Amino acid sequence: MRTKLALAALVLALLPWLLHDYGLQVAIQALVLGVFAMSFNLLFRNTGLLSFGHAACFGSAAYTTALLISRLRWNFAATLPLALTAAALVALVIGFFSVRLTKIYFTMLTLAFAQMLWALAHKWYGFTGGDNGITGLLPPGLLGNPKGLYYASLMALAVVCAVIHLVRRSPAGYTLRAVRDNPARAQAIGISAFQYMVAAFVLSGTLSGLAGFLQVAWQHSVFPDLLYWTTSAEVIIAVILGGSAQFFGPAIGAAVLVVLEAVVRSHTQYWPLALGMVLLAMVLFFPSGVVSLFQRRQRQEAPRATA
Amino acid sequence: MTLPFFFLEFMTGLASAASLFLLAVGLSLIFGALGIVNFAHGSFFALGAYFLFALTHGDASGFWHYLLLAVAASLVVGAVVERVFIRRVLNRAEHYQILLTYALLLIIEDVSKICFGADYKSIGMPKGFEMPVFVLGIPFPSYYLGLVGLAAATALLLWLFLHRTRYGTLVRAVTQDREMLEALGVNVPLLFTVIFAVGIGLAGFGGAVSLPLQSISTGVAVDAVISAFIVVVVGGLGSLWGTLLAAILIGEIQAFGALVLPEFSIVFAYVLMAAVLLFRPWGLLGRPPTVRT
Repeated sequence: MRTKLALAALVLALLPWLLHDYGLQVAIQALVLGVFAMSFNLLFRNTGLLSFGHAACFGSAAYTTALLISRLRWNFAATLPLALTAAALVALVIGFFSVRLTKIYFTMLTLAFAQMLWALAHKWYGFTGGDNGITGLLPPGLLGNPKGLYYASLMALAVVCAVIHLVRRSPAGYTLRAVRDNPARAQAIGISAFQYMVAAFVLSGTLSGLAGFLQVAWQHSVFPDLLYWTTSAEVIIAVILGGSAQFFGPAIGAAVLVVLEAVVRSHTQYWPLALGMVLLAMVLFFPSGVVSLFQRRQRQEAPRATA
Repeated sequence: MTLPFFFLEFMTGLASAASLFLLAVGLSLIFGALGIVNFAHGSFFALGAYFLFALTHGDASGFWHYLLLAVAASLVVGAVVERVFIRRVLNRAEHYQILLTYALLLIIEDVSKICFGADYKSIGMPKGFEMPVFVLGIPFPSYYLGLVGLAAATALLLWLFLHRTRYGTLVRAVTQDREMLEALGVNVPLLFTVIFAVGIGLAGFGGAVSLPLQSISTGVAVDAVISAFIVVVVGGLGSLWGTLLAAILIGEIQAFGALVLPEFSIVFAYVLMAAVLLFRPWGLLGRPPTVRT
């Protein structure tokens, strides 16, 4: 595992020098979606809660950055703390009200909250620019350079992975999974499920905000689409495609999704059709995600090697 | 606000409520029985409209008999989709159900773009409703009244089916205890196919009869499914009268909200949905979920 991780890190570190301009743009997008997917999975994996409202955290951070730059002429990088704060606050409100519900009701309430924010951004022309969005947000310095942005995104991904790893191994992580696996028993031994789940939602939402900030640095603009429910659907697709049970599954799923989209779009305009087919195949034939495909093959080969 | 104006706005709200009800009632029926949250429901609504447009070529004179064909096509599509896809995820975790129906949404979106083109499609007022009616001296599209009548008749027929026929009793029974029904020898998989097909048929019917009101193009499905969710969640997942009540509430809220705060009429519906989820998570007329492991 260690050597594999070191090898992956080496490849990722060298990648900007191996790719041409377009390839590098795709790689950055993959990293940004990877940050988002890993953050999403922090909640999904540890609590079992399927949020359809993560676009709200992602998008509110993006809009905070965009508004601070376009309205108050802030420096790009200086908006990061406030962007994360905005994502955390949005996550706190949504999480506070939503985690009390279970299953599909939780999913629907998070969806309702995110759609409210989308409707605001979409219709409040005076403040957010409505569906014209906010454009021309070129980050100066390091973030404005594709290679610089690549390494910044890679660092963000590393930070998010480290946080998730720490949470997973912390007492709080075990508590969350105890609540997930048996809420009644967790309550019986005195665990306040509510507080832990809100905390997980806020942490997951805040880290999603980091992805939102990077998204602005990458696309130099914001549009209400960032808050729309299809954005939440996209991150869920990335997570399940990679495999939510695997630690790096969401990031790998995000990379597969983004690269696949780039390849398909260069041949045809029917990317949604292709994605639909991939999703159908995944749900019906490899539900544990692409990572597990390779693992199963290894497991099958292993006994033969020892025999 | 004068009285005639108020009344007309109310009727406009009622017409969009009729469209919303037909869109959402199938979603509610399917969720109640199969437990599936169908993200492709808006796509079947759009598909019904596309079928009608393709059959009539945009000429409203053949509206009524082609409407029957469009609904029949929707029923067939629904039955096939249930047999081929939905059946395989019935006992799976809900995120697989969501992803499968989302995949159907994406596929139907692009396939209808290929088959019908990406331009806006609309149709004139159907036969018998070409002339406006005068309400308190103000002209008003008579088809709005026709649409309200269609939705009301659909609600009534659906209620009669569910509560006054043997098959309707089975549909209600399967929402409560699938295993018991199977033990009694009912062909539950066939029942599921029928329910899903009827739900999709209703969506197709709603899309087709809404075509004179609102033109259709790509992207309609994605918005429609969210509207359907709002209605179903506000009314109570699986509740027929709840769906009707919520459709009327939301239709009127959007009609009158557009007068008060034109920019944010769309926000009001989400606020209503969030409020209902907070205080009555099972919806206005839904049943509180029974705890079962």
